[in-house]
Amino acid sequence: MEFPHIFWAVLGWMIFWAVVGRFAIRRAYLRRDLDTSNAPFVGAMLGAATGPFGLVPLYMNTPTITTRLMVAPALASVGMLMIAFGFADPDNFCVSNGSFVASQIVNGLIIGIIYGFMALGLTLIFSILGVVSFAHGEFYMIGGMITYFLTAVWFPGMNPVIAITIACLSAFALGALFERMFLTPMYEGKVDRPVEYGILVTFGLAFTIQYFVQATAGANPFKAARYFDFPRIRLPSADDPWLIKTSRGNMELFDTVSISNPRFTAAVMCIIVFGLLLLFLHRTWQGKALRAVSQDREAAAIAGINPDRMNMLAFALGGMIAALAGAMLVQAFSWLPQVGAIPAMRSFVILVLGGLGSIPGAFVGGVIVGLFEAAGTGCLPDAQKAASYIPAYGMIILTLTLLLRPTGLFGRRFASGAHGKF
Amino acid sequence: MTKTRIPQAAGLVLVLFFAVFPFIYTANDYPYIMHLLIASFFYAILASSWSMLSGYAGQFSFGHMGFMGVGAYTTALFSHYFYLSPVPTEFCTEFLIGGQYLVIVDPIGVTSSTLTQDCLRKALSMWDDSVQITPMPVWLGIMLGTLMGGLFGLVIGLLVLPLRAAYLALFTLGFSEILRAAISAEISITRGQAGIELPYLFDAGITLFGIHYDKTDKLPPYFIMLFLLLFCLAIMVWLTKSKFGLFVRALREDQDAAAALGVNTTRYKLLVFVLTSMIAAAAGAVMAHYIRIITPNNLMILQMSLVVAMAVIGGVENVVAAAIGAIMINFALELLRDSFQIGPLMVDMTVWRLVVFGVLLMVTLRFFRNGLIAPLIDYFTRGHVAAETVAKRRAATDEMDKAGEAESPS
Repeated sequence: MEFPHIFWAVLGWMIFWAVVGRFAIRRAYLRRDLDTSNAPFVGAMLGAATGPFGLVPLYMNTPTITTRLMVAPALASVGMLMIAFGFADPDNFCVSNGSFVASQIVNGLIIGIIYGFMALGLTLIFSILGVVSFAHGEFYMIGGMITYFLTAVWFPGMNPVIAITIACLSAFALGALFERMFLTPMYEGKVDRPVEYGILVTFGLAFTIQYFVQATAGANPFKAARYFDFPRIRLPSADDPWLIKTSRGNMELFDTVSISNPRFTAAVMCIIVFGLLLLFLHRTWQGKALRAVSQDREAAAIAGINPDRMNMLAFALGGMIAALAGAMLVQAFSWLPQVGAIPAMRSFVILVLGGLGSIPGAFVGGVIVGLFEAAGTGCLPDAQKAASYIPAYGMIILTLTLLLRPTGLFGRRFASGAHGKF
Repeated sequence: MTKTRIPQAAGLVLVLFFAVFPFIYTANDYPYIMHLLIASFFYAILASSWSMLSGYAGQFSFGHMGFMGVGAYTTALFSHYFYLSPVPTEFCTEFLIGGQYLVIVDPIGVTSSTLTQDCLRKALSMWDDSVQITPMPVWLGIMLGTLMGGLFGLVIGLLVLPLRAAYLALFTLGFSEILRAAISAEISITRGQAGIELPYLFDAGITLFGIHYDKTDKLPPYFIMLFLLLFCLAIMVWLTKSKFGLFVRALREDQDAAAALGVNTTRYKLLVFVLTSMIAAAAGAVMAHYIRIITPNNLMILQMSLVVAMAVIGGVENVVAAAIGAIMINFALELLRDSFQIGPLMVDMTVWRLVVFGVLLMVTLRFFRNGLIAPLIDYFTRGHVAAETVAKRRAATDEMDKAGEAESPS
């Protein structure tokens, strides 16, 4: 199915005015000596949504940019794109089939929550150490590997909860050890460019872990057994289960949306742990210390917090979160030593989209990326092409975010340490 | 000969060795060793240009393999879709250029049943071999690939102007991944994962100094790659020694300070981006013609990590050290392939060598921040400077102490 030219014309029109808006609006704000940090984003979005009709008043008046002024054009341009798509390809499942759309949205949400959870670990590391950990995907991978080997090979029939706990603890220990051994010179000012050093050394760790696992466990894919079965539920009644219908491995809502058990468990677990983590960060001394260090390292040190200890805790905790995500997903995907690359890329995207070390940003960003990906894979007319483009969807979001609003969704404008700079 | 000349002399000996090596080496594994050397030179070009971009100019990019792919795919698509024909085919898009028709073949997917059904093949089967079509010259494709690499470098350089450090790394990673996804997805044009085939560097063979070399001979591509490496190194070393190098280093250390002191940071950032991506693209184009197939997997992050690791182990702030590091690492990785047995334990070195490599990378970063080769060069070229400085300082402090002793009433 080929798109008619009208769709490409609309797309071209939107991109053209977005580019014009990005530069023109920034220039207008700059000329009036106003805050330009959000001007490119608003300019681009308003340009995409309304073309010159919205840009000209904005250029003339240069109002103070409020959240509403940012969100409305963004939603409007997404809406424009959807309408154009609907007109261009009316037979597409995404336009004509409501239940397909619903199941795509639910699946996108679920995978998005899991991505968001993964990215949470990276965000934690980034907000405190100022380092993008390129070994994040490898922590995810070893979490799954350890869980699989414990439950299926070394101690068959082991309770998965214990196995997951052991996997998380090992990842925690590995993270702490690595941080002590290789990341300490960063804060002591022994390295000229700490951010690059952090990237490279975690890159080396990723390389080592990945091939270590491949050398010891082999390159054959594994898949763990389901951790637990759904109870049999038929609602509202056994012979008319339109509301909810479960089998052991699957759940069906409203006769349309089907959710597989492993993903559902993973998502629920992620939400629970996310809640626990928020509690930890806001209610305990350690958590408050972590947040304090992420806001201002020196001030935290004056207040009696040892920032080095917090660095170690953050890196280990970040690795543990990734390992937990992996341990939950090893029952859903087949597991290879290379499996970490894909969620690691998603985490980078979410890290940037959510904003510098923002924890709610990671979650919202995860959901957005999940939905965007579901839309991309479900709606592109050529299924094979759509599948091949999967790695690109997230990266398109990443590049757009960096070009339009480098602080991301919930980014603080001023942050301390290396992560405050672009 | 003074001590400072030792690195130059060693470099000269190394170059001479590589120049005569193909003529004196006659063992059975000649093609294998030659192939290894060509691949080493290829990685050396990539590693040294990456070190120029990241170590020297501080633009930490993960998109280098992307630029390499741009060069390789440009020449591949060019040789695949453009032909010259003396008669119009009537099926294809074609233009009359100087008595010849420039034929642009239509893209037709990958399935083997359609392989012979593009417009040019259709025309050929109608002509029954009566018309001789000419493929495009290989050197033109390589030039185009290089230019295209420069163009991409310019665009990416423009886009990343405001970004620094981790954001730059993530953005370039994004570029490389989008490019890879696009190449694997647009099967009708690039043939996706199946990869696209290229002609030989010298399809009709080449005669050098009276000796005819067949198109499969390793010697011509060996020297082309070696000359490309030396040429790129010469350009980069010259640039780093010139004012350009000074400005670019200032940019790395502190962009704002450099700008305040009058360095046109935008211009130099763009220049270094364009230059290094052109070098990467040229290496990719030549290499693609040598191995004769290019697939999207050549752009993978793993390949990128190999280049990065080579540059880091060699010495990320010295282009020559990075190149030597790349050659050495590539050889070491090949030599470590032999599996061995400790008691009942079979050690499969094909995988373990990469573990060793990863550990080496981490240890180098942690304890030898300038890599393993660069300090060696520095020791000879600048070692005496350091010694002199220390001696001077000591003499000065001694004198001061003496003066202090003389002044102080005892």
